[in-house]
Amino acid sequence: MLRPLTRLTVSLRLARAPTHAHHGFPAAAAAPFTTTTAAPLKQMPPRPKPPPESDLEESFLKGSGPGGQKINKTSSAVQIKHIPTGIVIKSQATRSRSENRKIARSLLALRLDELANGDQSRTAIVGGAKKKRSDSAAKKSRRKYKKLAEEAAEATGKETTLKQAEEVDVEEGKAAEQEAAERVMQSETGNNTNAQK
Amino acid sequence: MPRLPPSLFWRARREISPMATYLLKACRDLESTANELRWIREHVRATPSPVFPGLRTWNLCERRGKGVPLQYVLGTQPFGNLDIKCRPGVLIPRPETEAYTLHLASLLSQEQQSSPAPLSILDLCTGTGCIPLLLLSSLLTPPAAPPKITIHALDISPLAISLATHNHAHNTALNLLPPPTPQTPHTLTFTRANIFHPLPAPPHHQQPGGTIDLLTANPPYISPAAFATDTSRAVRNHEPRLALVPDTSTSTLTDYAAAYNCLPQDIFYARLLECAAELRPRRVFLEVGDMAQAVRVVGMVLRDGGAGLGGYYATVEIWRDEPEVERVEMRRIAGREVGVRGEGKGRGVYLFQGDV
Repeated sequence: MLRPLTRLTVSLRLARAPTHAHHGFPAAAAAPFTTTTAAPLKQMPPRPKPPPESDLEESFLKGSGPGGQKINKTSSAVQIKHIPTGIVIKSQATRSRSENRKIARSLLALRLDELANGDQSRTAIVGGAKKKRSDSAAKKSRRKYKKLAEEAAEATGKETTLKQAEEVDVEEGKAAEQEAAERVMQSETGNNTNAQK
Repeated sequence: MPRLPPSLFWRARREISPMATYLLKACRDLESTANELRWIREHVRATPSPVFPGLRTWNLCERRGKGVPLQYVLGTQPFGNLDIKCRPGVLIPRPETEAYTLHLASLLSQEQQSSPAPLSILDLCTGTGCIPLLLLSSLLTPPAAPPKITIHALDISPLAISLATHNHAHNTALNLLPPPTPQTPHTLTFTRANIFHPLPAPPHHQQPGGTIDLLTANPPYISPAAFATDTSRAVRNHEPRLALVPDTSTSTLTDYAAAYNCLPQDIFYARLLECAAELRPRRVFLEVGDMAQAVRVVGMVLRDGGAGLGGYYATVEIWRDEPEVERVEMRRIAGREVGVRGEGKGRGVYLFQGDV
């Protein structure tokens, strides 16, 4: 039972060894199994630390009516205000009050980082990297369909297909754009941020 | 309750989802409808089931739309860092309870940092067990874990006791509560008991020669009249009346009201203060419904009928919804300056043997 497994890991390790060496990862000599190494991501700036509690004014959004046992609120939205800048962040992403407090603080930290560092902020760098990735994916798919269309044109020997390829091209670009927009929407759901100046 | 315009249902359908039209009946505004739909979908995604996810979401939305509290529909409510299971027949934990429980835990932790000592806590009317569980979890966090924690929690309802026991096991299984180890010995027991009878004999609430460090209670505190008018529909129709309104149909409770000359919604406080006078815990926290009730309870503590409690507790405070906020205003009640701490509405009465 054990023998084929060991042999497999050895062969895997041998196959991977140059990759590890190339990217500077320590060789996993002790680990019995190695997982597939993902393409090394560029080091992103760390998440900024939230400002000290003394700079914050926290409020829990509640109705004006009675509280406690008399009502049963499902949402425990948290709103924090950063006193020095006047930035207000509201979070109702989860049902948990404690979780919402943490989320509001990390969103505020990102916001302050954006203000302080501009293009060098984490949001800008991560956003830029994401855009680059989606752009290159869109470019790849454009090339693929262009090539397919060209092949089809060669096969049928008709010249009109060139026009169709361009149409596909445009549609593909739109789909990628829409997908990116949706992703942004998802990540923002439940976290409304707005600045008061 | 004003009627919702049909246009709002169309907007919910168009802007959120067709499922949202069910939820809107219970949520009554688009923002909370969108939130609840998102939470329902997250719950469906997180809990595997052989039933088709779309069908499950639809079923849950329909149930919620009929007015069942979301916590009963999903079966859980986050409470601090814990995941508290909720079942019909047991009161759902409220965010205000979470706020003061965390504050109490931080006070105890501060004390532990300067002088570590074994802790003994008694929680009455425990319900889901949320207060003792969160106290335990917060006290066990590293910087100031006491050498030993003993917590006893009582409730009259067998449903509550079985759910609280289940919640203890559930949160231990999720690794949100560490199991007892020789380094952090702790015991948490849930016992069925009627607090209007003599409290169960030691060791249930008292170690021989030991004192109780904290007595907490979130008793029923709504008057029958307020239950009919002030409570929200989800509470009135689906949560247990036993946990909300003192049951004045029994002679035990009416006798108390007569003996202490108190309002029907304050009967439990008369008995709880009697327990406090008997057990002499170092700290007491009793949740109340509003500022007027808090003032009445402080009055009960300070008057002569409070069995000398006013003299025993150097600190008598009223806590608002957010006691963490550093703001104390003084208020004169029954001839004594009483601090009102925090922000929001009156939420509880805090008694402490020492000075703040």
